[in-house]
Amino acid sequence: MLTSLRTVRNAVVVVALIAGVPEAVAQPTPEAPTTVVTVTASGRVIDRLGRPVRGAFVKIEGTEDSVTTDKDGRFRIAAPLGSTLVFDANRFQTSLAGVTGESLGDIVMLTIAQTGETIEVAGEAPPAAPGAASLDRGELQRVPGTGGDIVRALTVMPGVVNLQIPLGYSGVVIRGASPQDSKVLIDDFEVPVLFHNIGFRAIVPAEAIATLDFIPGGFDVAYGRASSGIVNLTTRQGGDQRTEQAEVSFIDGGLIAQGPAGDRTRYMFALRRSTIDFVLPALIPDSVDLSLTTVPRYYDEQLRIDHKLSSAWNLTFANIGTDDIFELVASKNEDAKDKRFFNRTRFIRNTAAARWHEGAWTANLALSNLLQEFTFELGSNQFITAKLASITPRVEVTRTAASAAGLSQVVWRTGAEMQIGRNSIDLALPVEPREGEPMPEFDPKDTSSRFSGVIYTPDFTTWTAITANMDPRIRVTTGLRADVFGRSDELALQPRGELSIKLAKQWTARLAAGSYHRPPEFQSEVLAKSLKSEASTQTIAGVQYEPREGIRVQGSLYYTDRTSLITHDPDGTLGNNGRGTSLGGELLATYRGGPWFTWLSYSYSHSTRVDSPGQPERLFTYDQPHSLNGAASWKRGKWQLGGRFQLYSGLPFTPAVGSVFDSDRNLYVPLYAEPNSERAPIHHQLDLRIDRTWKLGPVALTGFIDVQNVYMNRSVVTYFYGYDYSQRTAFESLPIIPSLGLRGVL
Amino acid sequence: MRRLVILALAACSGDLDPPWQLDHDRIIAVRATPPAIVAGARSEIDGFLAVKGSATVQQPPEAVLVISPESLASVVTLDLDLDSGKWVVTAPGEAQLAAARVELALGPTDPVPLQLGVSYAGQTLVAVKTLRLGVAADNPVLGQPSMNGTPIADDADLVVGTLVDVPLSLTVADTDEVMWLTSCGTLHDHDEPQARLQVEKDDPTMGEFAVVLRDDAGGVAWRVWKIHAE
Repeated sequence: MLTSLRTVRNAVVVVALIAGVPEAVAQPTPEAPTTVVTVTASGRVIDRLGRPVRGAFVKIEGTEDSVTTDKDGRFRIAAPLGSTLVFDANRFQTSLAGVTGESLGDIVMLTIAQTGETIEVAGEAPPAAPGAASLDRGELQRVPGTGGDIVRALTVMPGVVNLQIPLGYSGVVIRGASPQDSKVLIDDFEVPVLFHNIGFRAIVPAEAIATLDFIPGGFDVAYGRASSGIVNLTTRQGGDQRTEQAEVSFIDGGLIAQGPAGDRTRYMFALRRSTIDFVLPALIPDSVDLSLTTVPRYYDEQLRIDHKLSSAWNLTFANIGTDDIFELVASKNEDAKDKRFFNRTRFIRNTAAARWHEGAWTANLALSNLLQEFTFELGSNQFITAKLASITPRVEVTRTAASAAGLSQVVWRTGAEMQIGRNSIDLALPVEPREGEPMPEFDPKDTSSRFSGVIYTPDFTTWTAITANMDPRIRVTTGLRADVFGRSDELALQPRGELSIKLAKQWTARLAAGSYHRPPEFQSEVLAKSLKSEASTQTIAGVQYEPREGIRVQGSLYYTDRTSLITHDPDGTLGNNGRGTSLGGELLATYRGGPWFTWLSYSYSHSTRVDSPGQPERLFTYDQPHSLNGAASWKRGKWQLGGRFQLYSGLPFTPAVGSVFDSDRNLYVPLYAEPNSERAPIHHQLDLRIDRTWKLGPVALTGFIDVQNVYMNRSVVTYFYGYDYSQRTAFESLPIIPSLGLRGVL
Repeated sequence: MRRLVILALAACSGDLDPPWQLDHDRIIAVRATPPAIVAGARSEIDGFLAVKGSATVQQPPEAVLVISPESLASVVTLDLDLDSGKWVVTAPGEAQLAAARVELALGPTDPVPLQLGVSYAGQTLVAVKTLRLGVAADNPVLGQPSMNGTPIADDADLVVGTLVDVPLSLTVADTDEVMWLTSCGTLHDHDEPQARLQVEKDDPTMGEFAVVLRDDAGGVAWRVWKIHAE
């Protein structure tokens, strides 16, 4: 009932704001000061991580008077008291600040991906939502135990389920939900996979990433199609200086070239190939019945071109692709078709985007297409070939105003997106288990799920949101997102809002609530036309403490109510009869200063669900009550040293309690205890990393050694059962894992 | 994908008995002789069991019951023949089979699958076996397998060398399935008509060797030999 009331209330507020704001923006009625007092205002312009923004234009709104920030991001400008300063810089969203005195403190500029948060005086920018966090490229490469890889770096985030190997194709599970409930975006567009089948490496090297934004919940209306959280990677824009660099390790090797091409154009190009396939065959003992007919290998590529067409227009073309393939035969006989396994996953995404900015107006236009192919063949009978082609046009318009309708520092956004997908699917597979369902018997002849045909998924989205200060200390965002999922002919209205209150100079409290929907597009869900989206209602309360520059402590509590969860009905078909809840708390403390980068996060989570009415409540498969991460990195001169300690709960699992032998099929049908009724023990480990740089002629070389689990703690991750389920053996966490790498920059 | 990774990792574990291991408590096969019977005909039920620390046994189940279809549970006759020690299933008449076909939405001449549950060792070993009613068929004939290219006589005591790759072969139809088992040595491709046996240093040097043949109509046959390595 409370949720319904909140939804209605938010919708009313949104409609009122949408109806009222454009008029108010178009016809502002500022209160004219009786006397104009001019002061010399000064301050510093920084990005969200506290780094100075050089060359930013600082202009008094409504005049042509402007100055430019120096190398430290500082500026001084004579401006009337009560006037508004407009800050504009390449790659950043336009920011505003009111002239309230001579000292304006720090003005934080956010990238285009971080819309909705235009101004925050003093310190780092606020996270995108309570509990959210960001890492930039340099920090991604400093977190020990990750090998510089973004998938593993994600595990330091509070709320991310931690395990030594990635979970699900997205590689990230947030707040105890399922992998498919969260989305991974690259430059604001979804990518279908985040990591490779071998090596568990991300498809994007950290070197090609500018920032990683982690939003575990309460995300903006511009984001959607997810009922849990968002991970948004922003690719690196070419810099002012041209560089070429190469990196190689035992896992893979790659090249990155970036820099300017003329005055107005920047480029970044990266290419990577696995190297593990060169050594893998030598690691397989002769006694193992295995033939690697196609040695596992992968290729990745990224291309980004930024062009400043005029003072108002910026153009970007981005391309990202990956190709992952391997084939093996579980026999020395390569012709044993019944024992053959083949998998190929590849995709390419092209995005052309344009950003227009003139005065208080900004427009972002983008056209993106995705081509994806997934092939899986097992034995002589089971296979799937799925080809997806989709095209996504998107537009978002932003209007800022110093004041409107009695509010100040107003930002109004509205956008629309269309995502048309063509899924060509040919499959013959067993019925897949849903979340929490234990694995059925392995029958290579089982092809009870069959489909061959084309499915179109036309989805349409529109959103609008307004952010404004109701008081110098109170900032409110309210918005509405409407998704139309064409396949199931469903309209999903998702009101969302956030309230931010500056309690004191160093303390900020935030409250976010909203509705979220994930369309039925995971695995075989797309085959069932009658399926509706899974929904969640999230409520998050957070507090942020910034005692001084570089130090931030944030805590949050959340409650997520999940409905319409897709589960198997008693007749074996899929339905929307499940529901569940997640609740927990997260704490994150960071320090960025001098040679130090330190990170401490802890999260508590409890996620339960009921698969259909009358069924008993059970744990989500990825319910992880406790997760603690402490990391510190110190950098001075040619050396960089770091350590990271992790401690986290084991995941639940469903124990087998016996089996029935099916004599005609010659296989054992397992009998299970209650779903997720046992839990693996707690795991802890220490990771260390050392980097050393030196010059070799014109080449700057960096070598690193990154060692995971240095004291070789081996905890039980889960159990594997024998063919008749009468025996089980512990699958333990991986022992010490050294990772060596060498990078050269020219 | 995740399932495959788990299966692959499980297969690599040395702590679990492989499926070809005879030194393990399990039901290897349940046999109905014949596996398909017409109305009113009889079929005998017995099983082939492996016993940890002991030789394999061929014996009737301790208990048999009808699992499905429910309508036949009361009309199929299950008797323990005290003379042979075997369970005997007697198919019901044509009228009951016709009713069962309607219940199962089968065609008028389709065989009716009668699923039986059998148990051994105080119900610690449980299996299901499907007997086809309304048609007649026999169990497959197990041909003569060969070891090292030499046919294996029914009463042979097999001798193999240690650390020697011993090729095994059995000629079967494409739709048949073969399963080699042993408690002496390590089998490779144990579920292929052409397999290999190798007695490793740490393997037991005495035990049994067996082959089981299954056709696609529920028929099964097996044979067992003594084997030692030297």
